[in-house]
Amino acid sequence: MDESKELLEASGEWSSRRSFLRSFALLGAGLLGSSGVLRGERLLAAAGRSTVAGDPEVPNEQVAKILKDLFGDRPIRPGHISLDMPALAEDGRIVPVIIESDLPMTSERYVKAVHLIVDHNPDPHLAAYYLTPAIGSVAIQSRIKMKRTTWVRAILETSTGDVWAAYAHVNVSINGCG
Amino acid sequence: MTIGDARIRIPDRITRGELITVNAIVAHPMDTGFFRTADGQPIPAFFIKDVVVTYGDEQVARFEWTSGISKDPIVSFTLKADKEAPLAMAWTDNKGGIYKQSVHVAFASA
Repeated sequence: MDESKELLEASGEWSSRRSFLRSFALLGAGLLGSSGVLRGERLLAAAGRSTVAGDPEVPNEQVAKILKDLFGDRPIRPGHISLDMPALAEDGRIVPVIIESDLPMTSERYVKAVHLIVDHNPDPHLAAYYLTPAIGSVAIQSRIKMKRTTWVRAILETSTGDVWAAYAHVNVSINGCG
Repeated sequence: MTIGDARIRIPDRITRGELITVNAIVAHPMDTGFFRTADGQPIPAFFIKDVVVTYGDEQVARFEWTSGISKDPIVSFTLKADKEAPLAMAWTDNKGGIYKQSVHVAFASA
């Protein structure tokens, strides 16, 4: 994984980077026997926005450990949360994020945490928002840094232990992490 | 703005029980530790790692951040305005700096 990243960074010009990235994605998808990356690209082409249904592959051990530590063996299902991000982020230093949920915020049932995970950032578990019923609704906005093109995961946990997720694929032009 | 300068914005007119949007910003470099200066010196990591939101006596939210949050962090969230009380925020960075700001939630007289 690190070797291929170096190759990517060394390959210079954007167009060649892009074609290399594409061939790497094809190779990766072939090896893994999954069409997740390609499906994401098609949906991106069809819709202007980056939010899509479906679970992106967990890309590495680091993200797998974060998910395991946070949610154990509980199922992470898509739904009840939206993650609104640009499909193309020109500047990876400032990428807007909007997270919303339709779940209630009552003393009996509420969203107790929202986690933001950026798959290929140096520190993927970028932020955690711990909430209480007094917040009234889940409607969080922020601005984040992104190192490169990757999936972003917004995963919430309810007070009753349910876990819901939304995903966005963001193309990043300028590395915002150094 | 200098490091730690913070602002919290809430609506001008609030009625009891209303769900209001709170916008907050704090001035902070949010250095990742991965960048260098023009003459090659590494810039150490320096970022807000913890944000506590208090409404009256109650802690209503807490955020855990990393240097992945953009420079001069903004955050917005909602609050159920059910009492006249201060809304206070405290941002803590990885070098122990604590920056505070508050606004008073008051209801418009009918």
